Amino acid sequence: MKKEKSFQSTISYFQVFSIHVCCGLALAVGFWVAHNVYFINLISDTSATLRLIWAIEFPVVILLFSCCTQKPEKCSYLKAICRGLLGLPVGALLNALGALALGAPVGLQYFERTVSWSLLMSSLTFVPTACVYGSCWTDWHRIFACTKPNGPLDFMLCLPAHGAVIGAWFGAWPMPLDWERPWQDWPICVSYGAMAGYMAGMVGSLGLALMRAAGGKQLKAE
Amino acid sequence: MWGWWRFGKWTVLIMFLHIIAILIFTKGFLLTRTELPHSSRCSDISQSPCHSSSSSSCWTKPAVDRLIIIILDALRFDFVAPSSVFEQKQPWMDRLKVLQRMALENPSSAKIFKAIADPPTTSLQRLKGLTTGALPTFIDVGNSFGAPAIVEDNFIKQLIQNGKRVVMMGDDTWTQLFPNHFNKSYPYPSFNVKDLDTVDNGCIEHLLPSLHQQDWDVLIAHFLGVDHAGHIYGVDSTPMIEKLEQYNAVLEKVIEELQNQSGSGKLHENSLLIVMGDHGQTLNGDHGGGSPEEVETSIFAMSFKDLPSLPSEFVSSSCEPSKNICISSIPQLDFAVTVSSLLGVPFPFGSIGRVNPELYALTVGTWNLDDNKTWNNQDETKLEEWLRNYVNVLCANSWQVKRYIDVYSASSVIGFSSEDLFHISDLYAKAEENWLNLSLYKNESSNTSLPILKRQIVAYFEFLSYVAELARSKWTEFNLKMMGTGIGIMLLSLYCHILAIKKLNKSYGVSLLLSRDPGISFGLMLASFTTLMHALSLLSNSYILKEGKVANFLLATTGIVTLRFSFMKNKMLLEAATFLLLTFIFRIAIDVGLYKQAATSQFMSASSSWMPGISISESLRTYMAEIVPILALIILGYYLYKAISNYCWGIAKCVTMGTILSYLLIALHWISESNILDLAHFLKGYGKNYIPRTIYGIGLGQLLLLAIVPLFRKEEMSNYKGNLFVKMISILSACSSTVIILQGKQGALVVLGSLLAGYCMMRLQGIEQHTVRGGAGISIFNPLPIVQWSLLALCLFFATGHWCAFDGLRYGAAFIGFDDFVLAPQAILLTIDTFGFSRILPIFGLPLFVAFSSLSNQTEDGSLFSIKLFWIFMVYGLITATTATATIVCVAIQRRHLMVWGLFAPKFVFDVVGLILTDILIFGASIYYF
Repeated sequence: MKKEKSFQSTISYFQVFSIHVCCGLALAVGFWVAHNVYFINLISDTSATLRLIWAIEFPVVILLFSCCTQKPEKCSYLKAICRGLLGLPVGALLNALGALALGAPVGLQYFERTVSWSLLMSSLTFVPTACVYGSCWTDWHRIFACTKPNGPLDFMLCLPAHGAVIGAWFGAWPMPLDWERPWQDWPICVSYGAMAGYMAGMVGSLGLALMRAAGGKQLKAE
Repeated sequence: MWGWWRFGKWTVLIMFLHIIAILIFTKGFLLTRTELPHSSRCSDISQSPCHSSSSSSCWTKPAVDRLIIIILDALRFDFVAPSSVFEQKQPWMDRLKVLQRMALENPSSAKIFKAIADPPTTSLQRLKGLTTGALPTFIDVGNSFGAPAIVEDNFIKQLIQNGKRVVMMGDDTWTQLFPNHFNKSYPYPSFNVKDLDTVDNGCIEHLLPSLHQQDWDVLIAHFLGVDHAGHIYGVDSTPMIEKLEQYNAVLEKVIEELQNQSGSGKLHENSLLIVMGDHGQTLNGDHGGGSPEEVETSIFAMSFKDLPSLPSEFVSSSCEPSKNICISSIPQLDFAVTVSSLLGVPFPFGSIGRVNPELYALTVGTWNLDDNKTWNNQDETKLEEWLRNYVNVLCANSWQVKRYIDVYSASSVIGFSSEDLFHISDLYAKAEENWLNLSLYKNESSNTSLPILKRQIVAYFEFLSYVAELARSKWTEFNLKMMGTGIGIMLLSLYCHILAIKKLNKSYGVSLLLSRDPGISFGLMLASFTTLMHALSLLSNSYILKEGKVANFLLATTGIVTLRFSFMKNKMLLEAATFLLLTFIFRIAIDVGLYKQAATSQFMSASSSWMPGISISESLRTYMAEIVPILALIILGYYLYKAISNYCWGIAKCVTMGTILSYLLIALHWISESNILDLAHFLKGYGKNYIPRTIYGIGLGQLLLLAIVPLFRKEEMSNYKGNLFVKMISILSACSSTVIILQGKQGALVVLGSLLAGYCMMRLQGIEQHTVRGGAGISIFNPLPIVQWSLLALCLFFATGHWCAFDGLRYGAAFIGFDDFVLAPQAILLTIDTFGFSRILPIFGLPLFVAFSSLSNQTEDGSLFSIKLFWIFMVYGLITATTATATIVCVAIQRRHLMVWGLFAPKFVFDVVGLILTDILIFGASIYYF
């Protein structure tokens, strides 16, 4: 237990807080730019908006999370960024495949949207972990297969990613309804769901990190 | 047998409960009125006790020469009525000013009515109701497969029969309902909801010129813009107000035109203008249900002469002195008969409405006025004459309603109770008695006859309103008590199911000497969550419409979760991935099925966007379509042969050989049908029916063999698992050949796919529990694979091109091997085709999860296996029953929904039939496997 503590200490809860706030702000800025600079939104121009949000979110994510790499002596900042860049297409592919298996439309006219969406999803789910852990199978396994994160860093990677996926899953439910609203198109409500889930995950992770920090202080005090 | 009875009694109990619950619920829910094919004729009136007013006329003296009916779809009552009637003025009120002005200026010749429609408030049902004067028929089995043309007697039909010429313009629903009735019609497509103007502009284009023409007696113009504006933008929106203002302008022109031509000798000397809605709408623009907003619409009627007004006792209006306009209320039921009486045609046979006095009084013809003389409001003789005439009309009206009730209760299975019938006869006899008295007074002075006339009218009103009330309660009101009881019993059966499963869990634990409660595993949670999600999704029509996609979504979700588990365990990754791939393939098949469904469904718009754009060359595709299924068949046969060759059970060998022979025959059948090979030319016509029949015969023989032989043969208990496997293979193979040939070429592929999926599921089933239990060897039951299995079965139902509607039945399948229609074999074939992949094969395939489970520990004995098998059957039954219960509850909740008869009721029928079939199959399978 002690060992783990010292191992985790590479990231402070202030770091967790600032990274989460930055990621959340990046999403918000993405929306703001889309609305106020390019005058588009998810409904009027889905893929362009998704790409825009991604274009703002992805650099923020990759730059921030690359700071938190484990064993910085072995893995330089640049290398971490490269890992993140490599992780992006892999994650996008996996997200797209998952969405297709769940029933995302397959037609060619949806291709662009699916690609934009999966890029965004990838930067919400895959890229952070790719930056931090690279291709270390045991870490991936621990975070995504077993869901046994330990420490604020793992929470920071695990919870928002799971939140985004679960949010997207729930976001798909209104799609078949016959309300004939434009936002029911693929992948608008799924994106909204994913972002909401991502936010919820971030709040959760932040909360856990704070709790851990408080607990740690108490322990120290005792 | 006693071994079976130990648990088998539960299946019997549950089946029994299900059947009772469904019977009771159905009796309360599926209320239908039978449509009678009779129609009224002019000569019929001689059978009635009423005096024909003159020899030349038919039932009634024609009171108007020409009738202009302008229907504004989804016209809310508050669109027409002045805003002073309502508490608060809203932006959409007072937009049809011309109607209000007319009603205000000439209260005796123009009037606004509040019309009350009977739900369902959809255009089609309402037009049916308006023209037939009857209450809606819900499921018209004889007619629902074809065009929606009205078979019942209706006033359009009467108009045609009596030589009136009808012109129609606007909504093309009319031409669907009355395909050959109109002299001239200008139909415009009503399908595109987003199009606010096409229908309306078409109407406007033809309406005004038509007013000058002489070649019609009745003109119907159906505007659709308000309905569409409501659907798209809602009531409180600019497009809606623009639409209403456009209508106001059109109506102004129409009225002006009619007034100009209303002079004596002119074209519209004796015309009646009716502006009406077919139903209302909610503020969101929805309609279909029975809420006041949807049900209340309006009728505005106007003739172009000054007329006397009726005595106040016949006026149902609420005239408050502070508000300077009177608005009467009229049920839409009365429309058909009133219009018929005005035009002098026989009343529709099935009409149960009454001739509305106020609407009837609005026409010149009913008053017998001289053109030169101005009438005097106090003129008693005029009023008496009118009343006498009206009583005559009412007499015919009552007689016609009585005749309909008599004929209906004589010919219909579910008629009225004898008590009600007696009361009807009693009321009618009373009215008739009065009538005879009245005839005596016929020549007396008006002072005495006026009160008598009034009393007579009241007697007729009493009779007519009683009949309408009774009919409404019998035909449009659900029996909530029975529905509630049905649902209650259904819930009880679910409780029994869970109890039985608990008991099985316990006895399994006892025989394993375990006292520990297995607790709640993640698999159980996910399984319950998935089932619940599916059950809840049935509450919405959209999810029912796309149930295939929902099932696939849930199946893929469980697949992804399983994939995650296999990542966690780092084993069987290939199986999990294959399973996901298979769900993807089924999903494509479901999309294709949905596309087919959209082509016929009235609720779905065909969207080709869901179709994957496959761009293989045409010849290659047909070639593939011919070859691939046969290849699949060969692979199936090969695996069957391999599977059985390791075991030696005589009958099983026999059966599988028979199946392989059937497969060969199926391949031959397909080759003979295809165009690629001409070498099988001799088979055409000759072998067309014999091959399928042989296959059916072989299948039946196999089933009989499997059912009878075990009775005479004591099987050794040493290799229970092997036995079970062989039994399963043999019964599946026996069933599969028939199912495959009925399903056509997709059948073999689907069987292959589901086999692969089943294999993956079977391999993956233990993956979660081992993780949780750490491989402690306690194999607690995991319901997740069974939920997956049932979802897969559901996916197969949709992937093979079925859907839960009567037009989703594949009637073609019933004629494979038969040319002529014979009820019994065709019904059986249709059942096998419909439920083959979704019920029959999955249930007989359930032992898959036992036969292969825990291959590692061989210590388990036969009794444990049988408990496990029973448990699996019970869980599968529980899943089916849960969904069916959800369907029943949702149907009960949505009984006033727009699509209740188009969507919920068929789904209900499919689920209920499927549930009973599942119960029977589980019963049969549990006997077979023991």
